[in-house]
Amino acid sequence: MIEVDPHAFVPLKTQWFHILLSLAGGEQHGYGIMQEVLQRTSGKVRLWPATLYGSIKRLIEAELIEESDERPAPELDDARRRYYRLTALGRRVLDAECERLQELVRAIHVKRAMVTE
Amino acid sequence: MNLAARIYQRLAQAFPHEFKLAYGDDMMQLGDDVVEDVAKRGGAPGLIRFIADIAIRLPIEYLSEMRHDMRYASRALIKSPGFALVGIVSMGLGIGLTTNIYGSAWTLLTRELPAANAKRLVTPEKPVSYYYIEQYRAQKNLFAGVAAMQNGVPFNVGLQGQMDAKPERIFGQLVSPDYFSVLGVEPQRGRLLSPELDKPGEAPVVVISDRFWRTNFNSDPNVVGQTLRLNGQNATIVGISPRNFEGALSMNPAELFVPVTVPATLAPELGNDVLHQRNAKEFQALMCLAPGVTIDAAEAALDGITRRLDEQDPSAPTREDKAKRVVLLPAGTRAPIPRKMRPVIAGFFAVLMGLVMTIACMNLGTMLLARGANRRKEFAIRLSVGASRFRLVRQMVSEGILLSLLGGIAGFALAYGLSVLNSHIPQPAGEPLQPIIALDWRAAVFAFAVAVVCGIGFSLAPALQATNVNLLPALKEGLALQLPGYRRFGLRNVAMVTQLTGSLMLLLITGFLVLGFIQVNSIETRFNPKTMVLLSIDPVRDGYTPEKGQALFEKLPERLRSSGMVHSFALAAQPPFSVVDDDGDAQLTADGAHDSSRVQKLAVRQIVGAGYFAVLNEPMLTGREFEEPDQQRQIQRSQTDGARAGGTGAVVLPVVLNESLARGLFGDSSALGKRVRDDKQSYEVVGVVHNLKNGIGMTQSIYYVPLSQRDFERPPFGGITILVRSNARTDALSGIRGVIASIDPHVTLFNVQTLSEYLERSRYVMRSSLRNYASIRLFGLILSAIGLAGVTAYAVAQRRREIGIRMALGARQTQVLRLVLREGTALIIVGTALGFLGAVAMAKILSALTSFFADAFKVGTTDPRLLVGAPLLLAAVTLFACYVPARKAAKIDPLQALRQE
Repeated sequence: MIEVDPHAFVPLKTQWFHILLSLAGGEQHGYGIMQEVLQRTSGKVRLWPATLYGSIKRLIEAELIEESDERPAPELDDARRRYYRLTALGRRVLDAECERLQELVRAIHVKRAMVTE
Repeated sequence: MNLAARIYQRLAQAFPHEFKLAYGDDMMQLGDDVVEDVAKRGGAPGLIRFIADIAIRLPIEYLSEMRHDMRYASRALIKSPGFALVGIVSMGLGIGLTTNIYGSAWTLLTRELPAANAKRLVTPEKPVSYYYIEQYRAQKNLFAGVAAMQNGVPFNVGLQGQMDAKPERIFGQLVSPDYFSVLGVEPQRGRLLSPELDKPGEAPVVVISDRFWRTNFNSDPNVVGQTLRLNGQNATIVGISPRNFEGALSMNPAELFVPVTVPATLAPELGNDVLHQRNAKEFQALMCLAPGVTIDAAEAALDGITRRLDEQDPSAPTREDKAKRVVLLPAGTRAPIPRKMRPVIAGFFAVLMGLVMTIACMNLGTMLLARGANRRKEFAIRLSVGASRFRLVRQMVSEGILLSLLGGIAGFALAYGLSVLNSHIPQPAGEPLQPIIALDWRAAVFAFAVAVVCGIGFSLAPALQATNVNLLPALKEGLALQLPGYRRFGLRNVAMVTQLTGSLMLLLITGFLVLGFIQVNSIETRFNPKTMVLLSIDPVRDGYTPEKGQALFEKLPERLRSSGMVHSFALAAQPPFSVVDDDGDAQLTADGAHDSSRVQKLAVRQIVGAGYFAVLNEPMLTGREFEEPDQQRQIQRSQTDGARAGGTGAVVLPVVLNESLARGLFGDSSALGKRVRDDKQSYEVVGVVHNLKNGIGMTQSIYYVPLSQRDFERPPFGGITILVRSNARTDALSGIRGVIASIDPHVTLFNVQTLSEYLERSRYVMRSSLRNYASIRLFGLILSAIGLAGVTAYAVAQRRREIGIRMALGARQTQVLRLVLREGTALIIVGTALGFLGAVAMAKILSALTSFFADAFKVGTTDPRLLVGAPLLLAAVTLFACYVPARKAAKIDPLQALRQE
């Protein structure tokens, strides 16, 4: 199999980034992703349903995430919903994106330090 | 909130099938789960965002699905390049032709003037006098402005710095100074005309067209302020009209715009104080409706005003008729099309384009049908592993759209090529310019729209048929297990008959037109048209005073005769066989004993000199033709009558009628000595002459009146034409040149040509449209051949198995062939009959609606070459298309055909 360069996807679209980030902890369903993003950004970013599923579809096509057949513990399971998880490629893309963002933040700090001095 | 939830559900339902399969339920669920939360946190704006999000996503998802389909379709097409090529060629031809029709004829007739007020412009059907226009202009509540114009006015133009060069004859418009402001046209450079600046008595000015500026001044930016010599007088160029503006109401582009305030020496059309004569109906009024006024309201009001004006005029004959006196036409296009004619013209082009497109699309449709049949197994497999039928249909439709889009691109290229080709055909010199219309984005949009609509429309049916598969046998057999019974109205038979009908109709209708035109076009002269020279002089436009011009014409016959170089000659106010639009605008009334026996006929008026028919070698049927005293008689009359020459004077002029008019007015009784009158004058019939066709071969009712002093003083736009017949052309020409030069060397001779050259030119326009019809015919034939071959080949190929069984049971090749051909023949007969009926009905409808087509159809519909030839040709193509695949099928080893299962 040909190795896909994760950097080809960087920079990621905001929605994609949020979805990948939400899945970093483990599999999740659409509603869960939406809730997590909402909480993480304290209500600032809401992934609207159609956009969410449109993005999920494209992420699956790009093979960054996949549908998961593993179910969480039965008491937490919501049988009606589909669960998604990161693929290996998705994880590497997320790492690449995080690295890029950290670079940016570092650059900001350096700049700020220079300005305040 | 409930409403938002419901809208959300609806929109979610509308998502593409594939999307819904994977995410539909989840998305619905999620919507339900969050809608309350959204309402609580975001309120109404939140709910709106919630709906907006899904509404925006919907088309995006469809587009993305389509991209997949298209990618798949292009892969499928690349895999079968032969199929793709034939499809693209077929659609390309169809779309190219329709785009060409749309881009040329259609656009010419319907494109609006590049003027701000184009939508509000109207014009009365008939010309009126300048006085009336001034009265109309005062109706501020009806019209925002009223301009006067004369169209197609010739000017002998000498360019500055080329004084020695021969002046060229350029056509322009004579307009009132408010012309451009009524139209709402802004100058490209300099200024346009205006009532404030252009007053009578000022130095003459002229506005030139963009085209004239480019061709004659090489787009020199400093041209404003330079002087042009117009008809021997100086006029200053004050401005250049905007690009693409070629004059209002003008089929032929106008190159000069001269205000009516110039002296009559510059524009002899203005002689005789025509601006102040109530009766000189020589101007076209161009009105811009005031805001909120409809054309009907304006027409009604204007009718009343005109009626009052008519009644105020003491010299006009009293008219008691109740008929409308003013008919307003929309004037925002090149030609004012009467409102009731619009559907006819639109209908004609729509039918023509529709036929071409139908044939092309039927081709596409049948090809897809055949392809669908071959792919049954593939479809069956895909269906059985869970693809939806809708998905497969969409797949096939995408292929259709892709094919027809590619065809559209090819077609647009073809149409573009044709338009470039057209613009390179040289236009005859000395004639008004022909407009050239380049294809623009509108034509491209048109082509694109046609491609998409036809692509969808004609791939849907085959797609539905192909995917309507009974899974089990299809999987097992590949082809249908049951022998498809011979269905009389099966899709493939209907396709074949439609194809044949459409092709035959197209072939016949265009054939009627082409043959009809060619046949009526052949003008028979009673002598070799190469031995007649036509030439025109227009001394008044060379700067003569009317008196001096008159003197020239009086001297001319004498001098020509005494020179002894010409065989015979005559003068006329128009060239022989000249083309007059329509049925003529003069109403000729035969004076009966009582009103009840009064007969009225529309007729064309031609002004000819003494000995005119003798020069044309036309013997009079009865009576005599004009002699020189006839011209004199009128001169004396107009001298005594003075300025009221146009009134209903007591003097009766001689008139010659042509056969068709004489018959129309007097039936079989002799016309000699009878009285007739038109709106100006009473006449006594002195002779009847054969029908002379006009230049495009139509026979019209014509009455000939003698040349008069007025014609010499103010020659018509074509000048006075001298017809000279001799044995050797050059001798006669140099003879006449010599004679005219001996009277005055400064008189310009123009339009010098033999009669045969002249006839050739007058058919120029007709020929170019013939070329279009002929090309439609040719391409149509190619299309039908492709289509017919495709349909029959498919039909026969479908029966390979059946043929194999027949052969296995002992049928011989010839028997199989006969079977296939017999069924083909039955379909051909049905298609031919339908095609005939359709074509004849179309011809009848069209000729009932316009006299223009009537003549051509009358001749064309009786031409045996066409009536027999066209169906035979198509039948031959069809039979051939049946024969080839049938033979191939008959040749195969029966075992092999059977083993295919």
